[in-house]
Amino acid sequence: MLLQQILNGLTAGSVYALIALGYTMIYGILGLINFAQGEIYMAGAFATVLLLSAYKVNFFVAFLFGMGVAAVLGLILERLAFRPLRGSHPLVPLISAIGASIFLQSLALLLFGPADRAFPLQFEFAALDIAGVTVSTLQVAIFVTALFFMALLVVFVKYTKFGKAIMATALDQDTARLMGINVDRMIALTFLIGSALSGAAGIMMAIYYNTTYPRMGLLPGLKAFSAAVLGGVGNIPGAIVGGLLLGVAENLGAGYLSSGYKDAVAFAILIIVLLVRPKGLLGGRGH
Amino acid sequence: MTEYFLHIAIISALHIILALSLNLIIGYCGQVSLGHAAFYGLGAYTSALAAIHWQASFFLTLPLAGVVAALFGLGLGIPTLRLRDDYLAIVTLGFGIIVDLILLNLEVTGGPDGLVRIPPPQLAGVDFRNKFMYLLLVALVVAFTLGLIYRLVHSRHGRALKAIRDHEMTARVMGINAAAYKISIFTLAAGLAGLAGALYAHYITFINPESFGLHTSILVLTMVVLGGMGSILGSVVGAGVLTILPELFRRFADYQDLAYGAMLIALLIWRPQGLLGTGKISQKFSLAKNRAKKGN
Repeated sequence: MLLQQILNGLTAGSVYALIALGYTMIYGILGLINFAQGEIYMAGAFATVLLLSAYKVNFFVAFLFGMGVAAVLGLILERLAFRPLRGSHPLVPLISAIGASIFLQSLALLLFGPADRAFPLQFEFAALDIAGVTVSTLQVAIFVTALFFMALLVVFVKYTKFGKAIMATALDQDTARLMGINVDRMIALTFLIGSALSGAAGIMMAIYYNTTYPRMGLLPGLKAFSAAVLGGVGNIPGAIVGGLLLGVAENLGAGYLSSGYKDAVAFAILIIVLLVRPKGLLGGRGH
Repeated sequence: MTEYFLHIAIISALHIILALSLNLIIGYCGQVSLGHAAFYGLGAYTSALAAIHWQASFFLTLPLAGVVAALFGLGLGIPTLRLRDDYLAIVTLGFGIIVDLILLNLEVTGGPDGLVRIPPPQLAGVDFRNKFMYLLLVALVVAFTLGLIYRLVHSRHGRALKAIRDHEMTARVMGINAAAYKISIFTLAAGLAGLAGALYAHYITFINPESFGLHTSILVLTMVVLGGMGSILGSVVGAGVLTILPELFRRFADYQDLAYGAMLIALLIWRPQGLLGTGKISQKFSLAKNRAKKGN
């Protein structure tokens, strides 16, 4: 039972971690919480679901398409809602992000309707039995895919020129500019990567829960933010650890306390972390 | 027809209280609350439950609603407001979702059906089912709110708040306890929203969680931004405009949230001071923009 809950938690947690990475990277570079992250997650899921139900395309093509749509949406958002407001009171881009979030959510509601959509493809997933714990291959696939993306991101940030340029921009924009780094392009690139990861997270959750709907991004967005705070906002390994821990805590809470309060666990963790250790487990750059 | 206009006037007045109190948080704390509707709802449910179960007089449940909402505000403000600027927005967003969840699931709040047959206020011989009388009652609370905020803003504490808003570090060096001020203002604003909630519940006489969700919080936020962040008169105008406009454009009700979202972004880009704002929040913005234009 305990092990089962932990494994379920790791599956959900790996997805939260992907979204949390988007929050944390954008926070790191702009010092801004992108409220519309949950809507980008939703857009990625919708793009894949709509493409798969309209055309007979390969699943992996549809997956990449969803990530692409999410990434482009992130770029548009950065261009329209954040770039014109750079350098203003921190409140201003925050409200703008809230506006973007509510705009995208209601746009999706108008375009696609409020109904749940099932994922158009049926997968044959086996249930594995490991030491008395049942794990579906779907859970394993989600976990492995999420870990793959995280590893890719860490390698990108640590070992490529662009990744290092992003880190430099996050540390000090003016100095980065003096070193010949195109700061605007690095910020755009951060939005692109963060949004693509959130899109991937959305698609995986659309498969896992077999449902896609306009408000699907609200709660995962909030939970991923809590995860980012738990690990330390602005800290990339922190977002991964925070996401996984949050997923596990949430499932343990649902299993041992009450399933009705599952969604409240993330919120309780957020408040506790803010009270006890606001810089997060691994130490963020938030303070 | 008169009835209809009176109804619009009452709803506008309630929105004015909400917008004014949110504007305190935005204009004087430099923070955003996305849970303002939750405080509004807490006030509404508190007052309605007290009136239904204890037959308490409205003139007792009204302050009770304010106090309960304020206490929740205090509970949220203490962990959040000592920290970074933008945590309050996300914490209050979560708070709004939790309150919604609890209202929907508790038995005492009636679940999704909410509460019905909430008694209208009673006071020796005055019939508050008459919309005009009710409008007078609401207007009294609006006047109270306006007076309170005006006095606050123009007092020693108001100057301290402005100092915090304009340059927190300097304010702290001058010995102003910024966190305590922010928490007090947030608590006060939550309490005022609670008062508005009680007035709403006893006017409409039936309430359900739907009225107190994210949609309402965003509506109030748009009112404040439209009127001008940090402007008292602006909030009054913003609330009036955004109560009357949706009535005129009833046919486009489905597009409301879409319009609010687009409006928030457009206003911040092209007119961050809103209709009447003069606050530092928009000033800083224009300074930065001018600098950018000069190619800095």
